[in-house]
Amino acid sequence: MRHRNILWFASVLSILLILPLITDDAFFLRIITEAFMWIGLAMAWDVLAGYTGYLNFGHGVFFGIGAYTTAILMMRSEWSFPFALPAAGVVAGIVALFAGLPTLRLKGAYFAIATWALSRAVQQVALVLEITGGPDGMRLPPFLNPKFFYMLMLGIVTATFLLFWFLMERASFGLKVRAIREDESGAMALGLNPTKIKIQAFILSAVPTGILGGMYAYWITFIDPASVLGDLVTDQAVVMAVFGGLGTLFGPIIGAILIFLFKTYFWAYLADYQVLYLIILGLLIALSVVFMPNGLWGTLTGYIGARQALRKGLAVNPQAENETEKGDKTHE
Amino acid sequence: MSDPILRIDSVTKAFGGLHAVDDVSFEIYPGEIIGLIGPNGAGKTTMFNIVSGYYAPTHGRIFFKGENISGKPPYKLAERGIGRTFQVVKPFPGLTVLENVIIASFCRYPQREKATAHAWKILELSGLADRANVSASSLTLAGRKRLEIGKALALEPELLLLDEVVAGLNPTEADQTIELILKLRDQGITILIVEHIMRVIMSISDRVVVLNFGRKIAAGKPEQVAKDPQVVQAYLGGEA
Amino acid sequence: MLLLLPQAIVDGFLIGGIYVTIAIGFSLAYGVMHIIDFAVGEWIMLGAFLGFYLNIWTQWDPFFLLPFVFIVFAVIGFVFQPVIHRVLSGKKGNPLLMGLVFTFGLGLMFRGLGLTVFGFYSHSIPSALSANSFFLESGNFFVTIPVIRFAGLVYALSITIMLHYLLKKSDFGLAVRALSQNRDAAGLMGVNAKRTSSYVYGIYVGISAMSGVLIGCIFSISAQMGGDYTVFSFFVVVLAGMGYLSGVPWAAFLLGFVQSFFLIYFNPSYTLLAVFAILYVVLLVSPKGMFAKGV
Repeated sequence: MRHRNILWFASVLSILLILPLITDDAFFLRIITEAFMWIGLAMAWDVLAGYTGYLNFGHGVFFGIGAYTTAILMMRSEWSFPFALPAAGVVAGIVALFAGLPTLRLKGAYFAIATWALSRAVQQVALVLEITGGPDGMRLPPFLNPKFFYMLMLGIVTATFLLFWFLMERASFGLKVRAIREDESGAMALGLNPTKIKIQAFILSAVPTGILGGMYAYWITFIDPASVLGDLVTDQAVVMAVFGGLGTLFGPIIGAILIFLFKTYFWAYLADYQVLYLIILGLLIALSVVFMPNGLWGTLTGYIGARQALRKGLAVNPQAENETEKGDKTHE
Repeated sequence: MSDPILRIDSVTKAFGGLHAVDDVSFEIYPGEIIGLIGPNGAGKTTMFNIVSGYYAPTHGRIFFKGENISGKPPYKLAERGIGRTFQVVKPFPGLTVLENVIIASFCRYPQREKATAHAWKILELSGLADRANVSASSLTLAGRKRLEIGKALALEPELLLLDEVVAGLNPTEADQTIELILKLRDQGITILIVEHIMRVIMSISDRVVVLNFGRKIAAGKPEQVAKDPQVVQAYLGGEA
Repeated sequence: MLLLLPQAIVDGFLIGGIYVTIAIGFSLAYGVMHIIDFAVGEWIMLGAFLGFYLNIWTQWDPFFLLPFVFIVFAVIGFVFQPVIHRVLSGKKGNPLLMGLVFTFGLGLMFRGLGLTVFGFYSHSIPSALSANSFFLESGNFFVTIPVIRFAGLVYALSITIMLHYLLKKSDFGLAVRALSQNRDAAGLMGVNAKRTSSYVYGIYVGISAMSGVLIGCIFSISAQMGGDYTVFSFFVVVLAGMGYLSGVPWAAFLLGFVQSFFLIYFNPSYTLLAVFAILYVVLLVSPKGMFAKGV
């Protein structure tokens, strides 16, 4: 990170750290805590979708599995929260490993299908199993300390952000997954094992999602299949990442903040028309794909980047640009 | 003579009933440039795909430095020292030229700093250093072909498979690429090259292997092979 | 328990027929557009509701409404396809990925639309055929065949045969087959790729919607039904081998059997888990489908 970015990061983080010290407004803290959670979920989805090019249309299943793992360990096996929370991540990671093994060897469409089917299957099963409490869900012991959850959620999401930043933008892993996204078979000739890298990315996406699920269970103290395994978790994560900008670190964050704010307002004023929300989410995905394929963040940085490049005289040689286009056309 | 670096032992590749490569054997010795030629559809690219691990041979075996590598996946072979280029060049279009080469450098230099330093060296060698930070998709065809060679080189291969790296270039660009290939040979890299332009293949190869309809019909020094009646027939017959 | 076995098999066979039609339409759309449509279940749902309301309004038997539902949705699909085409021919990023995201968004939008307009309740579409059943008896074994399910199978077979003739005997069919085999070459040989894709997408949407009406007569419909049918469509197409039409009936009947067995012998709540488990094993062992002939 360049110095200016570190400065930005440090100031945002310190404001967020100071916030609970200056306010006791439980509703306000709750909103921000949930916003952190969605940032984490959208970022985690994007690691696989945007960076690696594989769409997980059952992302919510890892959230649900995490939530149920923590809840079951705490309620049925009497584990304490500090142990039950990491377990949520471990279980989510193991499920990702097994779900990914056959499906990630194949083309992206198969993976999208398989994750979608997996999430539906788990939803249905959670409704009938005894250990999950079936449709009645599970209650956890209330631990009513909004500041604790605010701090923990902030910590988890910040850690996730730093981990993703390091792996995706600094370490070799980020370039490897992008190579897979751009051309899987070509990447093999360069010594990359696509299946291994994709499974690593899938686990990297599932583990934080599971932990956030476990966190949600203890924080909200009540989970049922509809709330933690429902389609809405996946749907929202997808919209946030796509609208914000796939394959960038900040896109999903921006998308998560904007859409979560919108949702909060929407819920507050239009609670009678809840299902309208789905239409808006769907419309937002479709419109983003058609008119803003790089998402909000990608479009903004692309615009700014192009202007800076022009000013510095670094703009891409227009002749070369033309030639690529000609080349592409002959391909069609 | 020393042991062959690559030994192809009666390799056959069948797609359904079609034998794209049919019982082909030949050997490559360290430091050689071997030209693989033949009319369209003779099985040259299939041969490349077998040697680089993209296809497993239906019959026969391939030995690289004495080890049987038949059926090993491409990424294992890349690690062992076989680099290849693709006829249809495959840069990662969304990444910069430098990043393209860094990815290949990870094979020998897993750490990003070292891989980056190595990638710069490769870019200098292949004459792309001044375009390091542009997007790979904005390169000209010549640039993309050089990038393709650069990526294969970044693997520090002992055996380099070049698939039509000269075709489609203008004479100046072609000469630069030939110069590069000869420089690589002088550095000790063994090269197997497929090329349509006869002038190129005949001038740089130490030996050539001729395929026709998947079978090896001739092998030897370029000037001998050029006189071989079967080869002449294959080329003239193929085009008539 | 054994006494119910013939019933389970017959039920599975009867249900499977409808999946055949859905999956063939789905495969066709995949063949020409090279895109998986995640909104397939929602087209089924929307078609079902059109049938439901038309039935209330006209009081006609749903079987007579099928052609009308087909036409309405075929037109919608035809008009809609260029949008998908635009996404798929985009220059930026990864068009295939964007195409998948796009249909996912469409599905979400349709589901929201369905819930907004139709609410959360389940309905069924009454048909005169629902009242009667055939009984077959042989020794201790007996089988009940509801007339409506039998009619569903007849419908499925007729649609399949019509599609077969359309594909194998007409110029349009030739263009479709050319397109699914080689897009570039087909274009060079004068196939209007855009127009043909639009027709195919229209036919696929129309068939899906029409099958939705039948599902509404046999089972029930609700605005949330789409997701399950999307999974079922994928299941059939993946098991058959993506793009291998001859495998579709087998996979569809297998799905029908799985469904009826779980309904009769186990807990239907495990149906989707079984579906996923079969899908998982097939992808693990033979990713190109049960017959290893997909792409």
